Amino acid sequence: MKAASAPDPAGFGLASIPERIQSEVQRAIQRSIKGVEYISTSGPSLGSTPKDILSTRGTMNLYHYRPVADEIYRVPILVVMATTNRGYILDMVPGQSFIEFLLKRGYDVYMLDWTAPKPEEKSLRMEDYVLDFIPDCVRQVQHDSGENDVTVIGYCFGGVLSLLYGSIFADGPMKNLICFTTPVDFRGMKLFQNFSDRRYFDVDHLVDSIGNVPPEMILSSFEMLRPASRTASQIQLWENIWNDEFVKSYRMFDRWATDTLPLAGEYFRAITKDLMWDNKLYNDTMTVGGRKADIANIKVPILHAVAEHDHIVPYEAAKPLIAKIGSADKEEVVLKGGHVSLVAGPNAVRRLWPKLDSWLCERSI
Amino acid sequence: MADKSNDPVALWQNMIGEMEKGFNAFANQAMASPEFSKVVNQVGGATAGAQKQLGELMEKYLLSMNLPSRSQMVGMAERLQSIEGQLNEIKAMLHQMQGNAAGPSAGFSATPRPPRTKRPPPAGGEPK
Repeated sequence: MKAASAPDPAGFGLASIPERIQSEVQRAIQRSIKGVEYISTSGPSLGSTPKDILSTRGTMNLYHYRPVADEIYRVPILVVMATTNRGYILDMVPGQSFIEFLLKRGYDVYMLDWTAPKPEEKSLRMEDYVLDFIPDCVRQVQHDSGENDVTVIGYCFGGVLSLLYGSIFADGPMKNLICFTTPVDFRGMKLFQNFSDRRYFDVDHLVDSIGNVPPEMILSSFEMLRPASRTASQIQLWENIWNDEFVKSYRMFDRWATDTLPLAGEYFRAITKDLMWDNKLYNDTMTVGGRKADIANIKVPILHAVAEHDHIVPYEAAKPLIAKIGSADKEEVVLKGGHVSLVAGPNAVRRLWPKLDSWLCERSI
Repeated sequence: MADKSNDPVALWQNMIGEMEKGFNAFANQAMASPEFSKVVNQVGGATAGAQKQLGELMEKYLLSMNLPSRSQMVGMAERLQSIEGQLNEIKAMLHQMQGNAAGPSAGFSATPRPPRTKRPPPAGGEPK
């Protein structure tokens, strides 16, 4: 008797049970084979879009990606990466690389990426990042491209640094500013606020004791925001280990997420005190190296892309940016996705990247 | 094909997803309390202090064993990095010199740059 003709009063799909069993057995075999393969091989090569290193200075690295279009827009782009993570999240693999997308659409792209600050770089302060590294990179982009104007794209805390830079150097040369998931009101980062509660968190003791804040500490504070997700994703990996595409994607994102950078001690102290505790960026009292950094000073066109389900920078933390910035030409776009899927992966390919291109192309001539 | 809602594999996956969400929500609620912050930071503070003391102790121990300490190894790694950095600078200078020889607009990379004449595609048109 054929299974298909069996009555199925409970609706358990009995008709397909033999097929399901067969398929599950096949997958179980595949899991074992692929599981061994997973352990014995390395993941895909990431960040492989051809680039030249223009400058390296301690933790600071400036790359120029080689243009691929026959003609390019006049205004070059400088991507400012978050100081906690590596820039290859924006250049995963061909077809899933934001950088490659920009190059193909005719942009000239530079990236300010970070490497782990060395123990003697524990004294790097906020002003080193905002008044030295970014302006130095902007100058090098100007020199290398031969253009005075520069579009700045900041991701996460790279967005905060770009805002601070733009508010201090409001007279230029930044022509456009694009921020991805950039916090402004640090009260909105509720769990981080609680982790760094000034009554219990002795940031001075921490920095004075260990210097640079170790990457394990940064990573665990990110993972604590969703404590069950690592285990759940490992279960998902095991279930889908027969699926090469799933495994490739898992490896890319897992490698990036765990490749967290340490933070320079003094810089971390300033972030904790000025932003997490005193919320100075939101309260318009932020200063960097004695210079007032009020984002109302920024008048250039700005696009702020935020994610609907961002657990690291919740919408409440990012929302005030557009209201507070001084630009007349300003737009916020709220897209489906999380903190990372907003900028990388299949959703970003469909949602953010085309939106960014349509916004930026007219402002890049 | 079985109804998704009754497929045991789909049910299992759904259950894992729901458990993840539920646990995350529960943990987030617990972690939002001041008590949590107090305990975590007390433990973290003590660990940082202990880590520092242990590090100093280990350094003395390694010195007595005539072995390099971690900071010495880090120092060596830094020197290597600095040598690498200098090599990169020399490489960049050579590229620049090569680029200058090829023409003034060649910049750091010797490859010629495309012209900066691109215009946005017409509204509704396909990007080039």
